Amino acid sequence: MRYRIKHVTEYLYSDRVTHCYNLAHMIPRNCVRQSCLKSQIRVNPFTTHTTRREDYFGNQAYHFEIQRPHKKLIITATSEVETDSQHAAVNLDLGVTCSEARELLAKSSLSDALFAKEFLLDSSMINANDALREYAAPSFDDNRPLLSAVMELTQRIYREFTYSPEATTVATPLMEVLENKKGVCQDFAHLQIGCLRSLGFPAKYVSGYLETVPPPGKEKMVGADASHAWISIFSPSEGWFEFDPTNDCLATEQHIITAWGRDFFDVTPLKGVIYGGGEEPAMNVSVDVKNLTA
Amino acid sequence: MSQFASQSQSTFQPLELVYNQPASGLDEVFDANGQIKPHWEKLLNSLQALGAEAFQSRVIKAQRILRDDGATYNIYSNRESPSHTWGLDLVPSLISSEEWSNIEAGLLERAELFNLMLKDLYSSRDLIRLGVIPPEALFCHRGFLRACHGIQVPGDHELILHAVDLMRGDDGSMCVLTDRTQSPSGAGYALENRTVMSRVLPSLYRDSQVHRLAGFFQQLRTKLTSLSPSEDQPRVVVLTPGAHNETYFEHAYFANYLGFHLVQSGDLVVRNGYVWMKSLDGLSRVDVILRRVDDWFCDPLELRSDSQLGVASLLDVVRAGRVVIANPLGSGILENPIFLKYLPQISKELLGRELRLPSVTNYWCGDPEDLAYVMANIQSLVIKPIYRAQGYVSVCGSELDEESLSQLKERIHRSPMHYVAQPILQSGQLPSYDSVQGLVPRPSILRSFAVAGTNSYAVMPGGLTRVGVEETSFMISNQQGSQSKDTWIISSEPVMGEAVTEVDETASPVRDADLISLPSRVVENLFWMGRYAERAESSLRILRTVFMMLNGEELISDNCKRLLLETATEVTATHPGFMNASDELINSPEQELLRIVEDSDCGGSVRSNLNAMLYCADESKELLSSDTLRVINDIRDALSELDSDLSGGLASAPEEALDPLVTALMALSGLAHESMVRDLGWRFMSMGRRLERAVQTTTIIKSLVVPEVSEADQSILLQSMLLSVEALISYRRRYRARMGVQSTLDLVMMDTSNPRSLLHQLEELNRHIKTLPRVSESRHELSPEERAALEAETLVKMSLLSDLSSRENGQRQLLHNALTTVSKALANISELVSDKYFDHRETSQQLVTSIWENG
Repeated sequence: MRYRIKHVTEYLYSDRVTHCYNLAHMIPRNCVRQSCLKSQIRVNPFTTHTTRREDYFGNQAYHFEIQRPHKKLIITATSEVETDSQHAAVNLDLGVTCSEARELLAKSSLSDALFAKEFLLDSSMINANDALREYAAPSFDDNRPLLSAVMELTQRIYREFTYSPEATTVATPLMEVLENKKGVCQDFAHLQIGCLRSLGFPAKYVSGYLETVPPPGKEKMVGADASHAWISIFSPSEGWFEFDPTNDCLATEQHIITAWGRDFFDVTPLKGVIYGGGEEPAMNVSVDVKNLTA
Repeated sequence: MSQFASQSQSTFQPLELVYNQPASGLDEVFDANGQIKPHWEKLLNSLQALGAEAFQSRVIKAQRILRDDGATYNIYSNRESPSHTWGLDLVPSLISSEEWSNIEAGLLERAELFNLMLKDLYSSRDLIRLGVIPPEALFCHRGFLRACHGIQVPGDHELILHAVDLMRGDDGSMCVLTDRTQSPSGAGYALENRTVMSRVLPSLYRDSQVHRLAGFFQQLRTKLTSLSPSEDQPRVVVLTPGAHNETYFEHAYFANYLGFHLVQSGDLVVRNGYVWMKSLDGLSRVDVILRRVDDWFCDPLELRSDSQLGVASLLDVVRAGRVVIANPLGSGILENPIFLKYLPQISKELLGRELRLPSVTNYWCGDPEDLAYVMANIQSLVIKPIYRAQGYVSVCGSELDEESLSQLKERIHRSPMHYVAQPILQSGQLPSYDSVQGLVPRPSILRSFAVAGTNSYAVMPGGLTRVGVEETSFMISNQQGSQSKDTWIISSEPVMGEAVTEVDETASPVRDADLISLPSRVVENLFWMGRYAERAESSLRILRTVFMMLNGEELISDNCKRLLLETATEVTATHPGFMNASDELINSPEQELLRIVEDSDCGGSVRSNLNAMLYCADESKELLSSDTLRVINDIRDALSELDSDLSGGLASAPEEALDPLVTALMALSGLAHESMVRDLGWRFMSMGRRLERAVQTTTIIKSLVVPEVSEADQSILLQSMLLSVEALISYRRRYRARMGVQSTLDLVMMDTSNPRSLLHQLEELNRHIKTLPRVSESRHELSPEERAALEAETLVKMSLLSDLSSRENGQRQLLHNALTTVSKALANISELVSDKYFDHRETSQQLVTSIWENG
């Protein structure tokens, strides 16, 4: 599939910002099932200095500095990507079992397995623990194929948790999400990653977009899309597989990847150090994903 | 000092400086047969010949030099008086050059290895790919900064400085305890130790054929300069966390010795992809940063977001290669003790051979076999967290009781990857001087330093030796109050000048711009140092006057008393104080007067002004001469003795308790006047002084001369004023008459031959302001601060004494008006100057507040 994505972020400050340095993760990365064909970031007010680079995880990082005083910051990231579905056909009921996966991971000297272990360890926002393991364990019988178990966990999160943007913020701790069974895509992704790591399986956080299809006969509203998040799990000798607990599915061609990391913190869309700005800036985000294939 | 003196007096038996073989333990002095090793013999003989009494006097001399040099080590836990004079034991640690050449070769090899590790860990990570180290060993460590992936440093070496803590192992050979790769401290202290030793024991030092240290520092200087990415003459700065850091002395010492600017994070800023230093003449580009700030704190944008010690967006400039930081950001990962376990394999992989200098055995609890061993033998091990940070301390298993032991085990079980364990080592003992017992054995540890050169590393011949507080000390660290020693590598042949002199002949002179481009912060501190010193002095003088008048033989009226006390409140700005006070307070003013002198919580008190002045002096320490530092120390001493001097209250001659402070402050201003180079720093300090003295003189005249009082009172008030501005004697000599308002005002306000007159201050202030750097010379109109200064000066000059002394509505109205205009102009000047020349950083904040980083 081919998409054009327009991602507009607007910050309204209560007081003048005299100077700022920012770091954005808003340009889609390249990977096996995706290539970014074009991309552009426009910043208002004008930047005085920008750099673009590939970061540690292979994501696109964009740095900019603004020296002009402003009360409003608008960042418009536009890109065109070509996506593919995951591994030609994933058969969840074949493949390595949970216990085989653990054993392979422990013994493997293949570099993809060695480097996958980075995603097994605790990260800034996700700490493995007994409660997460106990929640997930019923789906992970030793002799069950790993991917089928992950699919069941994906389903359970989808069924047992309520999607509720009011329930959480970016700062809501994982354990609170588990307790209240409410949250948004970011929380569900963190939760599932925490479960998988607690059981000994490497998992990473994937940020991106999802193409939404309007109801039949209706025109799609511009800006109705949003940024999205899901997970990717490593199965030794098989590779990485993306699951979407918010939508109860494997990630599809409509899942457009921006960046991945150990958790949200590694791929925060916009970080910054600002001088001035007052308290609590208002933020508006609008995302528009347009399918160019159709 | 007095403590030592009394001890040596009370001991009748003269103390002999003889070192006997300790009953147990490995000793540096004696060989296996109990014979003194040849290279120690000479030293021990010399010490014995010198004798305890003479040695003690050298000890006192050394302490004085260290203190005058400002050599301190700040101990975190001691909040009341955090700065301690550096402890130096004058008995050096000796290593023969034969043994040293082996150690040196091992250290060179180790530095090369750590350099290769650093390169690998932040690029291809082959050590993981090839299975040499388990992935968790790297990924679980907080020192692995992913944002630093791919950074490259020009030249063959990424790791510029490598320091190592060495100890004697059980078999007597040296073994490595830890590596320091962030911003290793200690090299500056080693140099200071050497400087002091060569001064207090000159002949012993000269005759001992000791390898010199200067070459190491020259190499460091050359290396840092060579890292510059710029074509121009490179600007190298030393980045310090600030005056309250434990090793701040060393930062300032380093910067001075190497000829680099000492900066704090607020002095640097990133603009347009480069790093700049904020200075009076604008921004000057920075090419190389020798950092003394831990890497994790260096960039609040990409690293630790709550850091106040870093420069936002610094990493972006580093990645672009437009500034080089030594050691590179991210190098802290090499301090990860887990790597020590795998070091033999890493060395085989990267160097193709095993290391000749062994490391202490390390068990990593992340390894199941090691974990089992640690759990079973925990009482004979030292348990260490894998990263150094406040709150993470090493513990000795044998020192824990049952309960803490099980808590420790529990913590290890919860996150085994985060702990390592090492056997408890018996370190080699060194003879150390004790003023009561003479030479006693103390456990020791040596920190060595290597610096990268063009092709290979160079090791400092010697290093910083530290000794335990007790014979059985387990921990040897400066935070625990250990003493240090100079380390002498003893050559069997005389040491020639080594072709290296202290003066670097090849260095080109500092560019002119550097002379004026002091960091704005330093200049601001000098300005305020001047103001606070003057403010404290004025307060002391007026208080002294008040004490003398209240206790004087002349009986003074209640009204007069009230006016004098009100003046004390006005001058010190400690309102409400005596302003409109009850008769009760005026009649027993002791409590309030004491508060004005010594209450540090009372803004405006003498103590708080002096504390503020000392703070400013600390912040600009590197620009102050050693004489000035000595006077600053005197002020510190006088301040700490103020309490006991005033403990008897104000009953008898309280003004005398204030005299030492006045004298020390006078010495300070005399030094500034006589021996400071007339550069911008001096100019701002003088401006601060003139401005403050003008403000204080205006206040005193206003409080004492403006009110209309009886003739008898007038005389006393005028006398008080003259006394407090140090003009009474001149007045008496000149007029030999009773006090007249006009002649007093003439002397205190208008007489420019009186260095304390108001007009003199205003003229000097004008002179300084005219010479400040300015942006554009094309126009001839005056700057706002020049206009304000000129206005004040002219107003005083144009005044007529008859007008000033005229009375109206119960006060001298015209005098009041003139003084009010002058004080407004002065306040205005201070504001204009600080707006224009000092840095006013807005506080920064994070766009996204993160609370997870420390988890």
